[in-house]
Amino acid sequence: MRGHASLIAGYVPGTSIFHRMLLWRKAVLLLLVAVLVLSFPAFPVWVGTIVTSVVLVAVVLAHFMARLPWSRLWRAVRLMLIFLLLIGVYQWWQFGPATAWTVIAAIVATVVASNILTSTTAIDELLDGLGALIRPLERFGADPERFSLTVALMLRSIPFILGAFSDVKDAARARGLERNLLARSLPVVIATVGYARATGEALAARGLGEACEPSGGNGVEPLAR
Amino acid sequence: MSFPANESIVLADAGVQIAPLDASGAGAKTILRPLSLELTERRIAVIGANGSGKSTLLRLLNGLVLPTSGTVRINGLDTQTQGAAVRRLVGFVFTDPLSQLIMPTPVEDVELSLRRLKLSKRERRDAAMSVLSSYGLDHLAHSSIYELSGGERQLVALASVLAVDPGILVLDEPSTLLDLRNTKLLRERLTALPQQLIISTHDLALALMCERVLVVDDAGIAFDGGPHEAVGWYRESVG
Repeated sequence: MRGHASLIAGYVPGTSIFHRMLLWRKAVLLLLVAVLVLSFPAFPVWVGTIVTSVVLVAVVLAHFMARLPWSRLWRAVRLMLIFLLLIGVYQWWQFGPATAWTVIAAIVATVVASNILTSTTAIDELLDGLGALIRPLERFGADPERFSLTVALMLRSIPFILGAFSDVKDAARARGLERNLLARSLPVVIATVGYARATGEALAARGLGEACEPSGGNGVEPLAR
Repeated sequence: MSFPANESIVLADAGVQIAPLDASGAGAKTILRPLSLELTERRIAVIGANGSGKSTLLRLLNGLVLPTSGTVRINGLDTQTQGAAVRRLVGFVFTDPLSQLIMPTPVEDVELSLRRLKLSKRERRDAAMSVLSSYGLDHLAHSSIYELSGGERQLVALASVLAVDPGILVLDEPSTLLDLRNTKLLRERLTALPQQLIISTHDLALALMCERVLVVDDAGIAFDGGPHEAVGWYRESVG
């Protein structure tokens, strides 16, 4: 499978200020960015445009402070390009250029900010953070481990589905069926269902999501600890 | 290296059928005919044609597939009623490591296996690095699983399963997607493991390294014996 680029970036090891920052602080900063840029309809257009533009510049600067490459920034934007174009044209037509720019800047700022968080936080740390967030709900039957595992699986499935789209598109093109919607979509559905089954089987085989034990070992001498 | 005592795997009239499509029983399909086996050897290979029932037989051993008749017991644990305990004892490696590796990097995937042990975050990371290091995979710890070669992925999948010290390791055609060099590497790694191994494979050289070989054909055991006799029988039966 190829074409596994993702809108949400994977972890990039590093020692930048964002890599060292505690997860909850990064989450608060991300929330702040989202609130600032998405609350623009509550203010006059010019205020919203200035605030959103400033936030976007700050987020892009933060991207480079996290020592993440240009390519990561461009990849996130490129994947939304058509969507941004359509939204921008519609907003321009309906509300004018300032609003169109504000909306596009808001979307780009939040996606880039999310990228910084996921690029500078190891998935494991992210799962622990999500688990901690859910832990107070344990008394109501919520299982933090299962919740964080579900999120991990969701993140894991995005590259697979994107890759399946890419592979199926190539296969359809090779057979001269690039304009056939069924040939380009049905195999993706089948592949995705197969992937879900295989993942479920792999989880079951590894005993993930089952009851925990206090320590390992089945009488076999540990191999590597 | 000290080897553990052999595990006890007992299949008693264990068979698998797909449920009939209607109440009359029409449409029922036998995936594995009822069979009784006691698997005590440390190295057991399962060979046979595609679709013969090898994978079903292997999946019975850790409860991924439950018998529709008879019982499967691993060290006395019934796969029907004690599935979770069985899976803690029996590690399973799939043909395609990409469907097995869940996390984006090897170290995170090994850590996911270790979550069951309730270690602290630091201990878990150290243990995961230690596992990868013991298999010579520490340099790949932070690589994307998509960037690894097929052989590297399979070795990472193997390390993820072995991280929790299963007593028995079941491998479903682990070398089918590998090139010759990686097949050889995997074979070397497997032979050095202390676990009891049950491997379904098309790699007859690997089968010949085992103590016992089961030839599966037409949803049943067609031959059960020493490696040379079994592989010879299989070659003749194929023609």
